[in-house]
Parts: sequence; C-alpha cells; structure tokens
Amino acid sequence: MTRSTVDAAPPPVSPPTEGRRRGVRRWHVAGALLLLLTASLASLFIGVSDLSPLDLLEPDEGQVRVFLVSRVPRLAAILLAGSAMAVAGLVMMSLTRNRFVSPQTAGTTEWVGLGIVVATLWFGGTSLIGKMAIATVFALVGTFFFVWLLRRIVLTDMIVVPLVGILLGGVVLAATMFLAYRFDLLQSLDAWMNGDFSGVLAGRYELLYLVLAATVVAYLYADRFSVAGMGESFAVNLGIAYTRVVTVGLVISSVVTAIVVVSVGSIPFLGLVVPNLVTLAMGDNLRRVLPVTALTGAAFVLVCDVLGRTIRAPYEIPVGTIGGVIGGVLFIALLLRARTKGAS
Amino acid sequence: MRTAARPLAALALPLSVVLALSACGDSADAAPAGDPAAGAAEVTVSHAQGESTVPVDPETVVVFDVGALSTLDSLGVDVAGVPEAAYPESLEEYAGDDHTKVGSLFEPDYEAVNALEPDLIIVGGRSAAAYPQLAEIAPTIDLTVDNGNFLESFEERVTTLAEVFGEEDAVADRLAALDERVAEVRAAAQDAGTGLFVMTNAGELSAYGPDTRFGMVYDELGVSAADENLTAADHGDAVSFEYLAEKDPDMLFVLDRDAAIGESGTAAEQVLDNELVAATSAAQNDEIHYLDSAVWYIAPTGLPSVETMVEEIAAAVE
Repeated sequence: MTRSTVDAAPPPVSPPTEGRRRGVRRWHVAGALLLLLTASLASLFIGVSDLSPLDLLEPDEGQVRVFLVSRVPRLAAILLAGSAMAVAGLVMMSLTRNRFVSPQTAGTTEWVGLGIVVATLWFGGTSLIGKMAIATVFALVGTFFFVWLLRRIVLTDMIVVPLVGILLGGVVLAATMFLAYRFDLLQSLDAWMNGDFSGVLAGRYELLYLVLAATVVAYLYADRFSVAGMGESFAVNLGIAYTRVVTVGLVISSVVTAIVVVSVGSIPFLGLVVPNLVTLAMGDNLRRVLPVTALTGAAFVLVCDVLGRTIRAPYEIPVGTIGGVIGGVLFIALLLRARTKGAS
Repeated sequence: MRTAARPLAALALPLSVVLALSACGDSADAAPAGDPAAGAAEVTVSHAQGESTVPVDPETVVVFDVGALSTLDSLGVDVAGVPEAAYPESLEEYAGDDHTKVGSLFEPDYEAVNALEPDLIIVGGRSAAAYPQLAEIAPTIDLTVDNGNFLESFEERVTTLAEVFGEEDAVADRLAALDERVAEVRAAAQDAGTGLFVMTNAGELSAYGPDTRFGMVYDELGVSAADENLTAADHGDAVSFEYLAEKDPDMLFVLDRDAAIGESGTAAEQVLDNELVAATSAAQNDEIHYLDSAVWYIAPTGLPSVETMVEEIAAAVE
C-alpha cells in the first residue's frame, strides 16, 4: 500500500471494446442533450407569468420583459452553475481517484460558507465580487488542506476519504454556524447557502460567466487530469507535471464552487451524483466524459429548478431543497452499488 | 408558594396597592425584592402559556421580547436585563452596556438571568419556548401575540403589562386612540387597491398574506390582499420577481430583513430595482413603501411599535 489516496481507487473496470464505447458515448450525448433541451424549453416557458412559445411570435411588452429579464437569465444561470459544478466534481473525483469526492464531500462548500460569513462580518458586507474573492480564498485553503491531509493518511476504504472530507466540512460548518449564531446571521446564512434561482434577473447573475472560463480550462486540461488521476508516479513517468496539474484541478474546482455558491447558493449532491452517473455509463476518460457531465449537470439543475417552480406555483421551493432530495436518493443508490461491487 | 388570588380580587387588590406604591415610590428607597409587603402586591395574570402570579410593579425585570420592551419603555418602566439584539432606533439605549445582556432573542443566558435575581421575566414570540426553564427562576409571563387575531390579542397582552405595572389608565387611553386610528385606516384602505407584504432577505424575496406574522396589514388594517393563498410560514413564501409582476399589487409593503437585523446586506431598494418590479402598478404609482424594518421585524408587538405600524400603513392608504 502506498501512502497516497490512490489506494482508495475502485478496481479498474475492463475497458469496453472500441465500438461499444463509441456507441455508448453517442447515445449518452444524445440523451443528455435531449434532456437538456426539453428541460430548457420547460424552464423558458414555465413560470408565474403565462408565456407560451406561441406568445413569443406576437409578444406584448410585459411578455418580452418577463422573457428577457427573468426567464432567459435564469436559464443561463442554471446552465452555467449546473455544468460547472458537475465538472468541478468530476475533476475532484478524477484527481483524488475516488468516486465520492466532490466539492460537497471535500468540505469546499463549507469553506465557501465560512468565507461568506467572514466577508459579511469583517469586510462590511462588501460587494458580490468582494464576497466571491474572499470565499474563493477560503475555498482554496480548505480544498488544498483536504488534499494535503489525504496524502498523509493511509486509507484503504473508498468511503473513508469522503468521510474525512465531510468531517472536515462539518468542523468548518460548526465554526461558521457559531459565528453566524453569535452575530445573528443564522437565517441569512441559510439564505446564502441554499441554492435558489428565484432572485436571478438580468444584471444579477453575470458573474457566473466566470465559471465558463474555469470549465473551458478544465476541458483543455482534461487529458492531463486523466493521467494525473492514475497516480503520481504513473503521471510523472508519462512526463506530466503532476503537482501543477493537480493544482490547476483543485483551483478550478475551488473557484467554481466559490462563484456558484456565492451567486446562487449550494445545490447538494450535484458535483457528486452527476459525475458518478456519467462515468458509470461512459468510463473514466475525462475528455470524453466531461462534455456529457456538463450537459447532465445542467440538466439535473434545470429539472430540479423547474420542479421547484411547479410544485407550489406560484411560490417557489429552492432548487437546493429539491436537489437535496433527488440527489440524496441517487447518492444512496450509488453508495449501495459501490458496496455491492466492493464485496463481490 | 403563595396561593393565587382569585381574578376579581386580583384586579381590585393590587390596584389600590399600586396607587399607594406609586404615590410614594419615588421618595422612598427602592424596596428590596421579596419585600414583606409584596405578599399583598401580587396579581395573577393570564398570558399565552397559562396564568402566573407576579408581583405588582416588580423591581427587577428581565425582558426577552423587544415588543414588550418597547411598551415598557414608553410607560417609563426600568428594565434590568434585555437580550442582545438589533434594537430599533427608538430603543437604541438598550443596546448599550447600561442594561445587562441576558442572551439572544431566542436563547436565554440562564446564568445571566439567574444572577440578576429578577422579580419578573417577560418572554414572547421568539423566546416563548424558553418559558418553562425561565419560570423556574422567577415568575414569568409569555406575551406572544396571536397573529391570527392580532389586534385583540395584542391589546390583551399590553393590558396585562399595564396591569402588572399599574399603568392601566394610560394604556387604556392609548389603546382607545389606536382603535380609532385603526378604524380610520380600515376605511381608507377600502379604496386603496390591493397590497402585498414582502420581505427581502440576502437578495431574495418572500411574500406574506393574511394570518401571517405581518397579516395584520390585511386582517386588521383592511388592505385587500393581492394574493389570498400565501401560507403562514414564519419566513413567508419564497417568490420570484415574476410573481410580483404577475400579482401586480397596487401597494407594495417592503420589509428589509437585512436592515432589521443590522446587516448591511443588499438593501431592499436595490433588490427591488429591476424592470419587472418597475412595471408593477405599485412602482408606477410610487406606492412601494419601505417600512421601519426594526419595528416590524424585531419589535412588532409593542404598544409604540403598533402605533408606528398603523401610521406607516395609514401613510400608504390615505
């Protein structure tokens, strides 16, 4: 047993034949795209105000306003946040070689929360950008600490690695809650952290486009992440600057998490469940899996948001709540599956 | 334990004692708590969690409800212990060190309460759950107001306070004036169109309807609700700006929660400054009313608070 986290990696799955792999890929890309398109249409035309695609042919002033100020920005924000968080989860999963490591199980989300509270308390509330900057610093510190810690612990069970992250996150969350409690921010903390797109309007979400850049970098680095995910010695033998690649990966994941959580809040399980489902179906080649992961992540959030808008219309259930329920069920299914596989 | 007096006797007896006490109260040195005479100066009052026998005009008072605190403040009663909270401007003096801090609005610091050796503890709303523990320390009354029957319940609670502190006459006058004013506002509200009460919190929006914590706007002051279906959830129903555009209220009453708890979050004006809100009748007719958040959110059940609240709605509908 080496001392790195690679011990926790699942046993390698025998690669499917070239032909079958392509088939699976096309089917899944098509499936993800179709799901995304349907959900996008639903998102554009489901809401408090009546607005059907036909109305757009001869829209009145109010309908144009609702469409351009509310519906389109909301869709864009969902697509950006959903795809970026799923990709961030995929990158973390690949780099730590553990299916259950994501920004949400590595404690990154909790560090962002601490950053938001610190920014609010000691940096005068600050602008959204200021909050994001401080939250990003916290996310980076927390994520690198998690990875540093993992390299120093011998872990044999793939469940233990995320447990360490969840534990760390729990400690950070406790500190955050204490601060929030002391300064009467508990309910505000809840409003900041729980994923919710109800406040998204034109002019209120554009900082989210920053995650697009991070996602593009993730795609450019995809192959290197894949190799780095095979372990340090393997990667170094292949001529990869292992440390730099891992750093880039962790920075991407931290920055994306900070931006998304500060802008719209956290969507539980998103970075965990989506990459898992996609890699289960398509294997671990990052460059191949990444676009589908992004599409599926966006679709996941879209479906959750549309449900949140429909169930109690005209009121809203925050997408974080719906995502928690759906993601939680999927996560348990994945856990059970991993256990059965490990036992066999 | 002293036996509780019967209600009638409870009313008659302390009244005379209170009059006697207040006549000489200022000149005499403050009597220590548990004064032998206190045996007679007790009153049994009913409150949200039953009945309590409390000393009349108690010496050391601990108040957890900012509403009750504002009532006492306006009656000129000295209070020894208050919670840490974001106080409305009019109660700012209680934020300082002159008043012992006895916990938060929700959670008493039992050590601090105990150390004060209070003669009376007042809870309400947020702190009502701590009643059983506090009642073991000293006589405690719960002045939680029933939102479903706001005015009547509120007046009952204020009258209870007045009874304990011997201020029945002053309070009765003010309540009568308030009732009169409420009737005027109700009449004016009939022709004022629909209204919607919203709260902004960290850039997000929630709406309140009749029977909610801010339902008195509709139930008591007669503003016709732009939406009858809102639930009574403590923090309202989460709504989008589209919802505002769709319900299109004639008047929008805005509570800025960030301001109420002393946070420099996103100001409500900023949250509502968008094209969807700008297109509503409320915005077009300049009928977006930003309320005194601290009064509505932190201290909505005090006598001066309700007077302020009624005037704020009056300004909108008249």
